[in-house]
Amino acid sequence: MTAQETGLDGDFRQQVLDTMTTVLARLLDRTEPVTEDMRLMEELGLSSTFGLELLLQVEDQLMILIDVEQMDADQMKTVGDLATFVAGHSQPG
Amino acid sequence: MTALEAVSVYLPSVRVPIESLAGPLGLTDMQVKLFRRFHGLREVGRDPDASLEALLLKAAAGLDALHGQEHRVRYVLYARTMPVVGPYPVNPLHEVCHPLALGHALAFTVTHQSCASGLLAIDIAGRLLAADAADGPDGPDGKTEPLALILSGEKAFTREAQVFADTTVFGEGASACLVSAFGARDRMLSYASSVRGDFDSDTGANDARLQREYRPSLAGVMRQALDEAGLTLDDIRVVLPHNVNLVTWQRMCLLLKFPRDRVVLDNIPTSGHVFCADVFANYQTACERGLLQPGDRYLAAAVGAGGGATFAAMVFEH
Repeated sequence: MTAQETGLDGDFRQQVLDTMTTVLARLLDRTEPVTEDMRLMEELGLSSTFGLELLLQVEDQLMILIDVEQMDADQMKTVGDLATFVAGHSQPG
Repeated sequence: MTALEAVSVYLPSVRVPIESLAGPLGLTDMQVKLFRRFHGLREVGRDPDASLEALLLKAAAGLDALHGQEHRVRYVLYARTMPVVGPYPVNPLHEVCHPLALGHALAFTVTHQSCASGLLAIDIAGRLLAADAADGPDGPDGKTEPLALILSGEKAFTREAQVFADTTVFGEGASACLVSAFGARDRMLSYASSVRGDFDSDTGANDARLQREYRPSLAGVMRQALDEAGLTLDDIRVVLPHNVNLVTWQRMCLLLKFPRDRVVLDNIPTSGHVFCADVFANYQTACERGLLQPGDRYLAAAVGAGGGATFAAMVFEH
């Protein structure tokens, strides 16, 4: 689902996505770029623990608080899904 | 029908912020932040002056229903997360039985289902007492009916007993619970468990699969216990969780479509994961908060991870 379809601030979602892909590459020690359509578990092998660490680092870098209570991890299939959720469920921290 | 006759819990008043555990446990700043921010673990109980035996005795001391009824206690079960809690030949369970005037009871430890051993102990205690009653003159008259005492709680001696793989921090504490085969107070309606030895591995090769299957597996045994009790989640007043962390239960609630405010999560931030005593501590909290009225059904759930995994759930009527 695109930012336009969800009524999100597209610039903010892009900022979240950029931060997320950079953090993911570092966390997973990848030399190849991480892209929006990559599947978090099947393709990137992201565990629950790494997933939480990713969110923590995104919070720190963007100075936001993510409403994780609303997050249904099973619906977060791709990097883009997670970026959309974070952009729509966070507030200045 | 197996029933909880009385429950007593001891949680130390000394609380240690998890930040102060970072050095001794070798936790990174990120791990500490993760525990606090998402897992909701702020501090854990420690009782540095109390031995393991002292912890268990403090819990038993609060069990008023035991006093004067020691002769009725036929079994003492010690439900444990860790297979070993003291050097041979120290036997904390036997050392606790004597000051409690329970030297006559058959005492043994229930372990190898890690933090799910507490629910297993309730089931074992009830079945032993019921089998005795079927074989002898003991009847459900409430005065002479035999009882079992279930103890749980551990000292956080080693690193393994203090923190579990970015998932939880253990706190010290203990519980004591009297069980009968025919009581009317908190009657056990069903028990379901799934022992998954296939998650065991020396190399951690199955850890990612366990993380993926953790919540669906726990939801599976919770639904199985409800089915066996002839109930649905809509019939459940509260869930008594194991205190692994907040985010796991927040996600369990999304998966089960169960309201978060009906899962007793109060003790996670202040006590951490108190080994097998969580369910008993959360039962006591539910009673103190007035969450359970006579006739209410509630569901206790626990996962024991380490050397495989056990998922367990038990339905009760208050």
